[in-house]
Amino acid sequence: MTSSTGYYIANLAAYFLIYCTFTLGLNISFGMTGILDFAFVTFMATGAYFAGVTALGPSTPGSEIYYILGLNWPFPLDLLVGAAAAGLLGGLVGLLAMRRLRSDYLAIVMVAVWTIAWNLVSNFSNLFDGTQGIVGVPQPLSTNFNTDPNSYVYVFIPLAAIVIGILLVIGYCIERSPFGRALRAVRADPDVASTFGKPTFRLRLTSVMLASAYAGIGGALTIEFIGAMNTSGWAIIETVIVFTALLVGGRGNVFGAILGALLVRIVIIEGTGLLPQIPGHPELLGAFRNIAIGVVVILVLVFRPQGVLPERRRLYFEQPNRERKARKSIRAISK
Amino acid sequence: MLSASDAILQVEHVSHAFGGVRAVQDCTFSVPAGSISGLIGPNGAGKTTAINVVGGALKLQHGRVRYAGVDTSGWSPAQMARQGLLRTFQLSREFARLTVLENVLVAATGQIDETLRGALFRRRAIRARERQLVDQARQILSNFGLDALRNDWAETLSGGQKRLLELARAVMARPKLLLLDEPMAGVNPALIDRIEGHLRELRDQGLTLLLVEHNLNVVERLCDLVIVMAEGRTLAEGTLADHRANPEVVRAYLGSSGTVGGARV
Amino acid sequence: MISMHLFVLSIGFGLVTASVLALAAVGLTLQFGITNYANFAYGDYLTLGAYLTWTFNGALGWNIWLSLVIGSLLVGLVALVISQVILDPFARRGGPVVYILIITFGLSLIMSNGILAIWGADYKEYNVGFETPVNVGPLSLTADQLGIIGITVAMMIAIHLLLTRTKVGKAMRAMSDDTSLAAVSGIPTERITALVWVISGVLAGLGGGVLALNVVTFDSSMGVTFLFVIFAAVILGGIGKPYGAMLGALVIGLAVEISAVFFPSQYKLDTAFVILVLILLFRPQGLLGVVGKA
Repeated sequence: MTSSTGYYIANLAAYFLIYCTFTLGLNISFGMTGILDFAFVTFMATGAYFAGVTALGPSTPGSEIYYILGLNWPFPLDLLVGAAAAGLLGGLVGLLAMRRLRSDYLAIVMVAVWTIAWNLVSNFSNLFDGTQGIVGVPQPLSTNFNTDPNSYVYVFIPLAAIVIGILLVIGYCIERSPFGRALRAVRADPDVASTFGKPTFRLRLTSVMLASAYAGIGGALTIEFIGAMNTSGWAIIETVIVFTALLVGGRGNVFGAILGALLVRIVIIEGTGLLPQIPGHPELLGAFRNIAIGVVVILVLVFRPQGVLPERRRLYFEQPNRERKARKSIRAISK
Repeated sequence: MLSASDAILQVEHVSHAFGGVRAVQDCTFSVPAGSISGLIGPNGAGKTTAINVVGGALKLQHGRVRYAGVDTSGWSPAQMARQGLLRTFQLSREFARLTVLENVLVAATGQIDETLRGALFRRRAIRARERQLVDQARQILSNFGLDALRNDWAETLSGGQKRLLELARAVMARPKLLLLDEPMAGVNPALIDRIEGHLRELRDQGLTLLLVEHNLNVVERLCDLVIVMAEGRTLAEGTLADHRANPEVVRAYLGSSGTVGGARV
Repeated sequence: MISMHLFVLSIGFGLVTASVLALAAVGLTLQFGITNYANFAYGDYLTLGAYLTWTFNGALGWNIWLSLVIGSLLVGLVALVISQVILDPFARRGGPVVYILIITFGLSLIMSNGILAIWGADYKEYNVGFETPVNVGPLSLTADQLGIIGITVAMMIAIHLLLTRTKVGKAMRAMSDDTSLAAVSGIPTERITALVWVISGVLAGLGGGVLALNVVTFDSSMGVTFLFVIFAAVILGGIGKPYGAMLGALVIGLAVEISAVFFPSQYKLDTAFVILVLILLFRPQGLLGVVGKA
């Protein structure tokens, strides 16, 4: 294996780790709570932008790059600022969108939020430099380790792995907790959940805020790894891709989320990226890739909506016994 | 009319309209504590709407609802549940993608820490409480004969089993007043007896039950007090025998179909 | 300061925008009211209409109005095929409603990128001569803009006649109110649903074409950006209420253009967003809707 292949794989690993934050986050709001979070990438962008402008110094006049803040704070403070900003925005959107329980209203509001945010950032150049976006974000710990741009990825991977590890543990704890069970009850039937005294609105709001914070962390990691972010990075299709990844991997299952990130972000997207460009039409390959994603999500929902790793059935204080498993398979055959 | 101390539920002059259509008009009745009461009437009488308003699923438009002496007009279903008023639905609405055991566990109100903070930082304490709850839940499931199915997805249960699950869930919530919307609808006769037995047990344990029911045989066997509604209004309160002798009630039923008592409406 | 003249002019533009919105919103609300789920690819139906119209007008040089008609009829056909092959079979399976919404989202991805692949990434324009505005009373509009308003008025009348005078239209109204009751009453629900999809597609195609005509230059992302504004008009009027959608389109169209007099015009869309938020906060069933469907 040549060093450039090793470098390429290392970069893939970095992108994979970052993408796990998105699928793990969506797994909380959509996977466990059933919320159609169609504004998801907006929170990713919020995290990215706020982390970026926290890490950067103040925008120098005359540089023609305008943005707010510019605090020059180090990692992990910028990550936390990004996460907090995204989580707060998620809370605001949740307050707005979730007063009605009807799924399509919520989804419509989410799409509207994305459209407005995208428009606002594109047109209001003083926020985050419009469509050009912000550049030159310093990579965390790069100065501490004195790395050149090519070896930085080897610093980034353990860093990201720790962050993703924490997010994974949180997701796993939720899955096995009464809180997680309450979320799934709300997903199944919000009206009946209310009838049993569950604070449906508060549960959904918490879920969206947490998921948004995850998205923000992912966005922050993105901008810290790549160093730049602009509006083309959070087009509406990015939301569909995260949904596809989660659905393919397995919704309601943290390991399904991880698998989905691997299968969709790495295998499908990177895989199609290796195909040769069609001469004369640079946009065609990207278009085909997006069409493929759309086809995949429809196929998954038609043929295997639970994903590759479905939601696991939880046993409470008991061991699975072979007798039960045999009975299960007999019933499955006779159904 | 019952005195305030005897009635666990007092519905006073409740009206509700959908758009221009009046579903319930000046509905007034009381449910005595510790009884099994029935709410009957021909189709379209407004019974389910009345239950929805009492339970908080519909926003109260006119009138007043008093539960356990407290004016609960305008309360949400979640608030009502926390005070011990629970309702079941006409079509069994089990929580899909939750196991039978989880369906019952979710019903426990007020005792578990269903917060994010709890999930992350209070895991040991929650685990202890979960153990208690699981024991309680399995006890109830055994009572209803569902313990063997406890780890199956609730949606794989048969219709009759889902009914029992719904009751088990309601029992777990330890309500004081249980509103049952047509608990016997679509239930095969063998199961009806069993469910009747369960309902009597619940009454003996101190619950008050209010059934909306079309099957008047069931009402006759179970209910101490029967309230009749027709065209959105309350016609009479009393025993089923009283109602059979009441020409107004008979006319209300004959107006739609069938006779009162004996035949199914 | 803001002159009265500008304000009056903006009312003219508002009527044009309202017309474009009305075509799209009526199509969406008719479909939404009958199928009971939202179509998140609807914006791309508009984009498709715009591009198909361009193929006849821009590439082949045909008359713009003829191209609009043919383009929208083709979109109606596409909408029918999509509903028959993917959407209706999936909806009939039952299952969580969120799934079909995600499917329409995926469909949007396929359509917008399909359009990009077929027609390319460059901005397109229609083959219409530069026009000087005509004074109509206090308003000042080009002949094309007047044409847009004219088409919309004609289509609204046609829809009205369809809904009130024809058996099909009455069946549509019955289905919109209560689908299961309609089915039991002997209404051929599957055929009516198919017809509604065709109508929705034709209106979307027409809406997309006139939208492109109005904004002059467009690309494959045109519909996606416009989508939530259409939803706003539909929700404002009440889901499933075509007259409500017309009213909603009028309100939002005027509000959006008039706001451009007071605020920089790139924030026009934000006005629609504010209206959507207000409606969801205070009257989610819409102006003409009934509590219950919300």
